Amino acid sequence: MVGIGVLAVWLASPSRSLAATLKINGSTTVNLPVAEAAEVLRAERKMDIQVDTQGGSSGGISALGDGLVQMGMSSKHLTATDRTKYPKVRFKEIHVGEDAVALVVSRDVWESGLRALTKTQVRDIYEGRTDNWKQVGGPDRRIAFFNKEPGRGTWEVFVIWLYGNPKTAPAVNFLEVGGNEETRSKVASTRGAMSQLSSSWADGKTVFALGLTDESGQTIEPTAATIATHKYPMSRPLFLLTNGEPKDEAKQFVDFMLSAPGQALVRKHGYLSLDELKQ
Amino acid sequence: MKAAGWKRRLTPTRLLAYGFSALTLAIVGSALAMFLWQSFPVWRHEGLGYLTGKQWHYRGQQFGALPMIYGSVVVSVLALLLAAPIGIGTAVFAVEVVPGRLRIALKILVELLSGIPSVVYGLLGILFLRNWVYTAFERFDPLSGDTLLTASLLLAVMILPTTMTLSEDALRGVPNAQRIAARGLGLTRAETVFSVTLPQAAPGIVSAVLLGLGRALGETIAVFLVVGRQDNQWPSNLFSLRPLIEGGQTLTSKLGGSETNIAFGDPLHWAAIVGLGLILFALTAAATLASLWFGARRRDDA
Repeated sequence: MVGIGVLAVWLASPSRSLAATLKINGSTTVNLPVAEAAEVLRAERKMDIQVDTQGGSSGGISALGDGLVQMGMSSKHLTATDRTKYPKVRFKEIHVGEDAVALVVSRDVWESGLRALTKTQVRDIYEGRTDNWKQVGGPDRRIAFFNKEPGRGTWEVFVIWLYGNPKTAPAVNFLEVGGNEETRSKVASTRGAMSQLSSSWADGKTVFALGLTDESGQTIEPTAATIATHKYPMSRPLFLLTNGEPKDEAKQFVDFMLSAPGQALVRKHGYLSLDELKQ
Repeated sequence: MKAAGWKRRLTPTRLLAYGFSALTLAIVGSALAMFLWQSFPVWRHEGLGYLTGKQWHYRGQQFGALPMIYGSVVVSVLALLLAAPIGIGTAVFAVEVVPGRLRIALKILVELLSGIPSVVYGLLGILFLRNWVYTAFERFDPLSGDTLLTASLLLAVMILPTTMTLSEDALRGVPNAQRIAARGLGLTRAETVFSVTLPQAAPGIVSAVLLGLGRALGETIAVFLVVGRQDNQWPSNLFSLRPLIEGGQTLTSKLGGSETNIAFGDPLHWAAIVGLGLILFALTAAATLASLWFGARRRDDA
């Protein structure tokens, strides 16, 4: 009954048909703050916005290229191939935030003095050849690896770093975790635990982010500086994409995402906002 | 005479009853047909190996559901073993021992448990039960607090109201005259319970317990949050207790996970996921039918 009432009010509302529909499609990662920004704009400015995640980042690029949407969402840079595929489209990348995946461990591992792993060590852990922290210089304890569910952005960044492509990642049978909250609480409450986690959730109080040691022996920590410069390998930009300069509704949307409340949504979903990158 | 009987049967009430029964049947039937139809590709791909295979790797197009069937059955049966004695005990206490008003208070208290949404149970499980299991079984060195046992303990609390309330109904179905007669013959209260009321109510109690099993098999969110969602866990020894303090995967935790989203659009993977639903449907239906069968026996006896 309430639903019918709401529907009747909505149908009778005069402002409904005034604005054109703003269609957005692309990355599931960028979708989180964007979908919430859309909620806010629908409520506050009565804007008509449809957000979809067909085909992820590449889906967003092609939908924008084909003119099906006014705005794409992407968590990777456009490639030369994308631009040659759509020669008439003037793709514009609007940087709205940054995402980094940290490898986090529980307190006991951190307090043993382990601070960083090499890519080979991480691969050995993921493929099960290393199953005790002792083998990589930590305490004598089994590694409780909580794997992010496949399909999660975090998991994809991780396997792209290790294997180049999610499709070539080996099949593994670890305990699985989903959202950031669940991951953090489970790593924090388990001895010898490790997981992939959005870096801004690595609080340094309950879970601790390891650095990554590269071939030259240099250790890179996931800090705002290394993420901003992409020195930290598991970082990636979050983009809104438009064809040329954003106009009308698209411009309103971009302006909102870049404003303080929009950037707060970026932070809320575990990503780095633009001013965090500048620090 | 036959025509008159038929006419009498076609009252509006009866028509409505038949109509709605047919509607229910049609809904269940079409759901089952959809499950069979949508899961067809995986049966063609894996054959019976879908039920007996122990490896599930969707990127390698390998779909063996046995570890999940094992997970579901172990978690639910263990939950039942924990919940049944407490549920039945509470029911006996409520019906045979305590006076009227206290009995109602007890019943309300237990039934409140069933009003709590399962996600709340799941969060409580993450906050307390995981850590409790992790600490209590420390000397067996569990990898984490996400274990089959944690899920069972949580489920046991969740199915307690079902087993308790229905067992109570079964006990109250035993005529009071029998209790009075038993007491008149000089039996103590305990003897009356064990040799008169419990045997009389047994089919109803078994039916209550089996309905609890059906509920346990289908529970998703609470189990999802504490079971570990670890694929392809098959014990080296089926009767070993060790797997209970390790992570696992149930049919429902798999269905509630990210693979359901990933599978959409890939006919074979999707079929494998729908197939899990079909297996779950079959297990729950078996538990419910068994429960109905015992329930019917009770009525015949009475």
